[in-house]
Amino acid sequence: MLISCNPSDNNMNEKDKIVITDAWMRAGLKDRNTAAFLKITNNSNSDDTLFSVSSNLAKETQIHETFTKENDIKGMRHIEKLIIPANSSVELKPGEFHVMLIGLNKDLTKGETGNLNLQFKNYGSISIKAEVK
Amino acid sequence: MKNITKILLFTFVAQFFFSCMDELDTINDISKSNFALINQDSIHANFPSLIKGKVGIVGYIFTNCPDICPLTTNNMRLIKEALENDKITNVEFVSISFDPEIDKPGILKNFSKLHNVQFSNWEFLTGEKETIKNLLKEVGVVAFVGDSVLIKDSSYTYLYVHTDRIQLIDQDGKIRKNYLGSQINIDEIVEDVKKLL
Repeated sequence: MLISCNPSDNNMNEKDKIVITDAWMRAGLKDRNTAAFLKITNNSNSDDTLFSVSSNLAKETQIHETFTKENDIKGMRHIEKLIIPANSSVELKPGEFHVMLIGLNKDLTKGETGNLNLQFKNYGSISIKAEVK
Repeated sequence: MKNITKILLFTFVAQFFFSCMDELDTINDISKSNFALINQDSIHANFPSLIKGKVGIVGYIFTNCPDICPLTTNNMRLIKEALENDKITNVEFVSISFDPEIDKPGILKNFSKLHNVQFSNWEFLTGEKETIKNLLKEVGVVAFVGDSVLIKDSSYTYLYVHTDRIQLIDQDGKIRKNYLGSQINIDEIVEDVKKLL
């Protein structure tokens, strides 16, 4: 007999299937770019996909990843989606995946908070607050 | 017996001599170069002569960068604090923008304020496009435009692919060590600065 350590999706409160923690944004200047970072935990038994992020803080919001080439050369590129495997967490953190806030509508200074809206394929939409650090 | 004494004496002298060396090779001597730039207050500054006689800690950035360059700038701030805690002076910090079209002096000033930079021994520099291009070639830093993003208001922003770099330059204008700017070990560069003083 197989016993699973994970609760079945049926027993789980719907809102707990995707949990966002440790959300923060880097300070940034009006009209310039900055990044937001957070941890996404998928508590459900099926993969989910983050496919867009929106915010009234910036003119454009995208999911990006930082990549490394030879000779310490680094860059960023837009990615269409980010898969969050079942019963796993994916961290968006400096030097790796991040939410790119392009063309800030105002200065973001330390201590402020702002809203981000994340769209998942299965879970749907989740709105979070992130503090500027 | 006489020979053994000579060998021991030679070994002792050699060990003493090598322990006095700073152990950092010269990567490139840029002392003969001169790049006319301007700082965050629109004051003219020549690089690398502005750090002559001091140890230079130089970072390469663009202010539209949301990830690597703020990390590099923050690491330079942490290096500055660590050196000040150790009462180490005679060090000059320089951040050079490789995006001169966007990074005008006022933008550099606002960016540095945002990242809590104390300007006493830290300059943010920009310049003519051709000057910056030649400077980057001289110091071995690569920067070219990668992705660009069209914004809703029909403007667009572009992102650089670039070397992730903080550089240690000695008092004579010689590049002595390169570090990953965004991931630098603060203790390592502080120890390297001490070797040069």
